[in-house]
Amino acid sequence: PRGAHPPHLSLFSPPTVTSEQIEHLHRRFKQLSHDQLTIRKENFDSIPDLEFNPIRGKIVHAFFDKRNLRQESDGLVDEINFEDFLTIMSYFRPIEMNMDEEQLDRFRKEKLKFLFHMYDSDHDGKITLQEYRNVVEELLSGNPHLEKESARSIADGAMMEAASICVGQMGPDQVYEGITFEDFLKMWQGIDIETKMHVRFLNMETIAHCY
Amino acid sequence: MEDVGSVVARVGAAWLALVFALIVLPSALGISLGISEAYMWVLVKTLEWATIRIEKGVKKPQPEILKTPAANGIIERDETPMEKEIARLHRVDFEFSDIFYFCRKGFEAIVEDEVTQRFSSEELVSWNLLTRTNVNFHYISLRLTVVWVIGVIVRYCFLLPLRFTLAAIGITSMIVGTTMVGQLPNSSVKNYLSEVVHLTCSRILVRALSGTIHYHNKENKPQKGGICVANHTSPIDAIILTNDGCYAMVGQVHGGLMGVIQRATVKACPHVWFERSEIKDRHLVTRRLREHVADKSKLPILIFPEGTCINNTSVMMFKKGSFEIGGTIYPVAIKYDPQFGDAFWNSSKYNIVSYLLRIMTSWAIVCNVWYMPPMVRKEGEDAVQFANRVRSAIAHQGGLTELHWDGGLKRAKVKDTFREEQQKNYSKMLVRNGSIG
Repeated sequence: PRGAHPPHLSLFSPPTVTSEQIEHLHRRFKQLSHDQLTIRKENFDSIPDLEFNPIRGKIVHAFFDKRNLRQESDGLVDEINFEDFLTIMSYFRPIEMNMDEEQLDRFRKEKLKFLFHMYDSDHDGKITLQEYRNVVEELLSGNPHLEKESARSIADGAMMEAASICVGQMGPDQVYEGITFEDFLKMWQGIDIETKMHVRFLNMETIAHCY
Repeated sequence: MEDVGSVVARVGAAWLALVFALIVLPSALGISLGISEAYMWVLVKTLEWATIRIEKGVKKPQPEILKTPAANGIIERDETPMEKEIARLHRVDFEFSDIFYFCRKGFEAIVEDEVTQRFSSEELVSWNLLTRTNVNFHYISLRLTVVWVIGVIVRYCFLLPLRFTLAAIGITSMIVGTTMVGQLPNSSVKNYLSEVVHLTCSRILVRALSGTIHYHNKENKPQKGGICVANHTSPIDAIILTNDGCYAMVGQVHGGLMGVIQRATVKACPHVWFERSEIKDRHLVTRRLREHVADKSKLPILIFPEGTCINNTSVMMFKKGSFEIGGTIYPVAIKYDPQFGDAFWNSSKYNIVSYLLRIMTSWAIVCNVWYMPPMVRKEGEDAVQFANRVRSAIAHQGGLTELHWDGGLKRAKVKDTFREEQQKNYSKMLVRNGSIG
């Protein structure tokens, strides 16, 4: 039957997601897609909680970003199936107790890469000042008292900080092109992000559905 | 052939006589024969047995993650308010980090959102032999399947016809009874008889659903000239309440059978039915209700301020119209026990007929009704604040969560004003933190 069974779990390298959680996500997927096999951007419009979110556009975008879907090419896809949905969800897996150093490091890099893609909207591998300004503007939009200039100065200030961490002192003529992924990683050294970027499932015992 | 016909006729007559003696008569007199209690006892024992069988059958080792009833969500939500979260991240003074909070909130919303969740039925933690579960039902044992099949037979072949008969009797007597009472001139006798008719028919209808209702704090029952306010889960909420007292209903005039009932009952008792065109005019509605409430000899009116059916795990925003009328508000909390039957009407998924069919083939409708002490609008409180105060009281009493969302979201999208509010809050915070260099 169409879309009745969730696909194989082979895409998760340590199998830390239980089959129950997959079933739940599958049900959610079907709810969002209105029982179709794929989801499009418009399907995310039906989530009221998401409307609150200022970076809603970027989050939805992230689901369709080919880089997040581990595809070789660049750009955006039009629609995603359940496997893609799970791929994006895997970025928000919580850490498991039994992970070793290497796994933890890979884990962290993946999450930061996801974040990096969110900022780097033109997919050129660098976060430029303009791209960063866009994000800050989105976060601050809706406040009539905050002028564009203030949003800009916040963005510029933050970029300066980033530059100083990554490149050290710059001469007055030097142009800072943008934050590369390596610089991005440097910025986050020592800061614990793993606990901030995860969604933890509650344990579900024999759950029944009444029709 | 003739023999078969006469046998059928005799069985039918015996059946009706039994129903009349055991159910209709006690309803009229307001006494209980204890049949429902016995039935419930058998039911509970069977369900306990079934749950134990399932738990034995599930042999997977459970990892040590949090165990919480599934009614309030499948993911652990971080309840940190936005201010604290941003203050925490701001020690680095990087707006880069602010994006975390919103990112995670966005993902939580995508995995499961609080609002849409309330418009689908509550998930149970154990199986109640009502249907095959689509996800977690595995073939556990032959015995369990046999019990399930017996359950289906009992429900569809015995309970359903019985309930249908009762419902038919109940509705017919309501229409006939109120029409007859309506012929009398206005007097205290008429009011008394009208109350008797309404109560009897409600009791019959509650028995038609195998309803077991526990009323708490009866000393707070709504008085005449007041407004009774309750949370809304299904169309049978009204019957649950009228089983224990008489109210003046408020609502829109419908066509069909419902319309017939409405026209009949309004002759006996001053219910307030509005035409569709009148409902749009809020001032007219408020004025009529005010007139009704001002007359202290009239029955208390019954209103469901949420405006739509919610799935009984939470209370959504109350429409302020009911709280502008004035008068004393008597809040009532209704909580159904989902173990025996799901009373929630998901009107976008089922129409009323299939809903009633589902209700009539459930095991029973069990609920608790709490009458709460009356509330009045305080000085300087506006209708919205008053509505929220009443809502909190109801949610607290019934053990439901409160959501600041509009029930209208079942069908519509969030207003832009809400989103802008959130963005305004965030930017106010950033500005206050002195991030403007």
